[in-house]
Amino acid sequence: MAWIGSSYSPFGRRAAPPTIPVVVYGTRWCGMSQMVRRHLDRLGVPYEYVDLEMEPDAARRLAWMTGGSVSHPTVYVGGELLVEPSLRELDWALRRSGLR
Amino acid sequence: MNPEERQSLPEQFPRRLHDLEQRFGALQEKLDPSPTTDAISVLHGMVHELWRSLRRGGSPLEERGITLDDIAELYRYAPKMEGPALNSPLPPGTTAPEFALPDASGRLVHLSDYRGTPLVVAFYPLDWSPGCSQQLELYQNEIDEFDRRDAKLVGISVDSVYSHGAWAAVRGISFPLLADFNPKGDVARRYGVYRDADGFSERALYVIDADGVIRYSHVSPELHHVPDIYQLFRALDDLTTEHRQAAA
Repeated sequence: MAWIGSSYSPFGRRAAPPTIPVVVYGTRWCGMSQMVRRHLDRLGVPYEYVDLEMEPDAARRLAWMTGGSVSHPTVYVGGELLVEPSLRELDWALRRSGLR
Repeated sequence: MNPEERQSLPEQFPRRLHDLEQRFGALQEKLDPSPTTDAISVLHGMVHELWRSLRRGGSPLEERGITLDDIAELYRYAPKMEGPALNSPLPPGTTAPEFALPDASGRLVHLSDYRGTPLVVAFYPLDWSPGCSQQLELYQNEIDEFDRRDAKLVGISVDSVYSHGAWAAVRGISFPLLADFNPKGDVARRYGVYRDADGFSERALYVIDADGVIRYSHVSPELHHVPDIYQLFRALDDLTTEHRQAAA
């Protein structure tokens, strides 16, 4: 998964990620995926976009994290996985992570 | 724990959760496929869903009346609307066929009312249906972006003015929804996007310039595919740039 394996410092201790990672797993044609991406665009929240149709490995790993379902959009915000969140739910998660 | 550490706890919390998620994610590669592996995955999914349900406010078991939000979310549980496109749109360069259709208030809206300004016409299958609810809400959220490009927007479906009114109120849609109700689908037919077998239109977009000429057209290859908003913005940007260059 995009955020895995990036938080170890050269000194063997866990290092803080530089920013709270936000990853949007979606498809280009999914209305809610587009709504979530545009919402983050408007807020100026940096995020990584993973197209589930272009990256089957990501889809497989997402299924592992969500108990077997690959739903879009699924949004990862600093440790929380939100499957098909409303924009309000997304805002709550962003606030908990200090991104809003 | 010293006071400084205690103060930093709220910031540390999501980071710890993030680390745990990383470790959990990495373990997948080390586990063989088995019912036990599936059970662990399902349990992990349940933890997240439980966390979300608590954060939504109130107990999931709390009884409450039906709210407008519940009605707005009905599309999530509605029957799916799927199927490949059956029609191709009118090509760019074509003069957009004139139409006169009522909006939710019964006011007759003509295509020619928009002469002098770029217009996005969004044909969509049906009010209340899954893809359409998302698509029109997406556009409503982008009203400022359409304004910034001096573009107007209308939606057209075969639903009645009454359905349009209720649906727009529930979803907070402020741009006109036009009723292609009688003769059913007549305008969609003239724009080449009516699905005879289904009794509703394709999901189709037209960008019409200030002179009434189609400059961009798109039919979703699958009914449930919402057109790429970034692509629509690019089409409008091209038109705006051209318009401003011509004016200069």
